[in-house]
Amino acid sequence: MSDSEKWARWTLGVVALTIAAYGAFVAFLGHGPATFSVFALLALTSVPASSRRYFKGRRFDEREQQIASKANRAGFGAFWVAFVGLIMAIYFIKGWNATLAVPVWTLTETLMWGFILIVGVEAVTTIMLYRGGPRA
Amino acid sequence: MTQENLAEQAGVTRHTIMALEAGKYFPSLLLAFRIARVFGAPVEQVFEYHGEPK
Repeated sequence: MSDSEKWARWTLGVVALTIAAYGAFVAFLGHGPATFSVFALLALTSVPASSRRYFKGRRFDEREQQIASKANRAGFGAFWVAFVGLIMAIYFIKGWNATLAVPVWTLTETLMWGFILIVGVEAVTTIMLYRGGPRA
Repeated sequence: MTQENLAEQAGVTRHTIMALEAGKYFPSLLLAFRIARVFGAPVEQVFEYHGEPK
């Protein structure tokens, strides 16, 4: 298994753990600024050696580069779609001239969900492309 | 010749050689020529074109 696949599987596990911990936190302690602490679990993505695969001095071959590039585009593409969707939803729900006031922790939490979306989609795409056919 | 040897001489990972053998990856022209050079054969002897995948 390549370093990229190892990274993808580990990252998916961390994302699942973070989502589960977030759900448990909200269910038992409620939703508030303290909920943000759950996102510290995302630091686990940097634990395995495979997360430093770009810094180990080894060369990525053309297939690995293609897969990494496609996975990266998929991750940021998903983020862009979600970002535009969120903005449009706010516009349609609150109105075009409404003023929106949210706590800072809500904003930072949204950014963390954005990060989860990017790495999650990137990890899933990486696994799919390594398993995939000639177009991978 | 082992996959590991071929990968090393062609400058790719063994996973890429495995994907090539399994038909899961189409190499670039450059890689195709590098692999052909490892075998000391023309590229058309190493790779065959079977048309676009469905």
